[in-house]
Amino acid sequence: MPMKRSLLRAGGFHALAGAITLLFCVPFVWVLVVSLRQPGLAPPQQIEWLPNPAAWSNYPTIFAMLPLGNYLLNSLSVVLISVPLTRLVAAWAGYALARLPERAALILIALAVGLRMVPATSLWLPRFLLFSQASLIDTFGALIAPALMGTSPFYVLLFYWAFRRIPAEIFESGRLDGAGAFGGWARLGMPLVGPTAVTVAVLCFVHYWSDFINPLLYLKSDHNYTLAVGLRMLQQLDPTGWPLLMAAAVVMIMPVLALFVLVQKAFVGRI
Amino acid sequence: MLLPFLFGAAVLIIVPGGITLSLAFAQYDGLAPPRWVGLHNFRSLFVDPLTFIAISNTSLFVALTVPLRVLAALVLALLLHRPARGVGIYRAAVYLPTIIPGVAYALIWLWVLNPVSGPLNLVLAALGMPTPAWLAESRTALPALVAAGLFQLGESFVVLLAGLHAIPRDYYQAALIDGADRRQILRTITLPLLAPWLMLVVMRELIVSVQSSFTPALLMTGGGPYYATLFLPQLIYETAFDRFRFGDAAALTLITLLGLGLGLLLLHRAAGGWGYADET
Repeated sequence: MPMKRSLLRAGGFHALAGAITLLFCVPFVWVLVVSLRQPGLAPPQQIEWLPNPAAWSNYPTIFAMLPLGNYLLNSLSVVLISVPLTRLVAAWAGYALARLPERAALILIALAVGLRMVPATSLWLPRFLLFSQASLIDTFGALIAPALMGTSPFYVLLFYWAFRRIPAEIFESGRLDGAGAFGGWARLGMPLVGPTAVTVAVLCFVHYWSDFINPLLYLKSDHNYTLAVGLRMLQQLDPTGWPLLMAAAVVMIMPVLALFVLVQKAFVGRI
Repeated sequence: MLLPFLFGAAVLIIVPGGITLSLAFAQYDGLAPPRWVGLHNFRSLFVDPLTFIAISNTSLFVALTVPLRVLAALVLALLLHRPARGVGIYRAAVYLPTIIPGVAYALIWLWVLNPVSGPLNLVLAALGMPTPAWLAESRTALPALVAAGLFQLGESFVVLLAGLHAIPRDYYQAALIDGADRRQILRTITLPLLAPWLMLVVMRELIVSVQSSFTPALLMTGGGPYYATLFLPQLIYETAFDRFRFGDAAALTLITLLGLGLGLLLLHRAAGGWGYADET
């Protein structure tokens, strides 16, 4: 009897969890379906589960309609510079924190948490003024600048937690072998925090790839636009143009989604 | 090795914070040098009806978003923290909307909520339910934005999962031996031990929700209809970057921060501490 009850309970759990999964994922399936719909047709009167016929040509069309290739290249350039830079700065800071005496580290951690709490809204305007002083407006410099501080104090803390888990004796023996602070970090520390380094890189990629507000505030000319601001142009399309709009959204989502599927264990699997 | 981080943080957060603070009391258009005007910016903001509309809309948005998101994240974490086959897939699905770039997310919802051809209204019509115009109607626009944002709760969900995981198993076993049922366990063990994590999540959601209204409102409603979804971040953005009234924008920023501080203080009061049961 208890056996049957637990089976029933497990069934209930999977039904509920499955329904939630559906609720969270169905919109994206719809988006994919709509992105393949023939553009210019009257909007559908009921839910369509399969486009008929599938208009794969929507994807080349949006690349012809907008300088989407250019936007993609801009987004990629920003990401390719800011992700390694972020990883370097955040890993250094996290390593230094982990090697500092407990008290000093605690004060700096409190500072990092405090900095993380500063709302972004309060930084828009003064950063704009600072960037114009440094003539960074309308350059990628304005978008990449946050990487100089490791993008987010949160990434520094992630590295700190990872480096703290490594026994101090390892670095002590490294020091006796003549490794300096940087040598110890590069040869002993980094190889041992691989998963954290991957997590930070992924979070950072998603951050810069999705960044809409910074390019909106600090970029002026169309040829510098990243995908996020470029996509905004498509908003003016009328309802018959929805398939094109959704195709553009798919282009933007795909790299993030692919990365997420690859490393989702790092987010939710190991807990 | 800490220097790059500290230097970057000083230049990108601490100095800008100081600039905002001082600009709030000055008149500045980006061309002529800033001029000290004392409280003049605040006085002119307080006679502008848009200020009050933005403040009350933002408060309403936050008051709806924070409890709903925390509650939803809590329920999902409680449901999905048990080790079961395939639970990783369910967790990944819950996290999925959180990683979708804000612009793409807003465009998708713009389509989902389209009154005539959007899938939501097609489903509602098929079920014989009323089909409101969502974003085009001032009564439903703000709740629709809240509902659209609800699905991006992955970070709070993961934090609460970690919190649940930190509760020692022995506690549950001891409670089961004492004959406690599931509701009693939830009330007397799970929730009290989760309290510090919940507090962290509520604080984070509070801070984030104030600014998270920006991208969806700008892309989905533009603040309309009739200012029904005009929020403080958008008003700050327009004041500074469309009208070049940097002093007013800085003053508005300061008002936003004060409101946020007030919210955190109220939260602290309401919770009677920062969530630790042994704190008095």
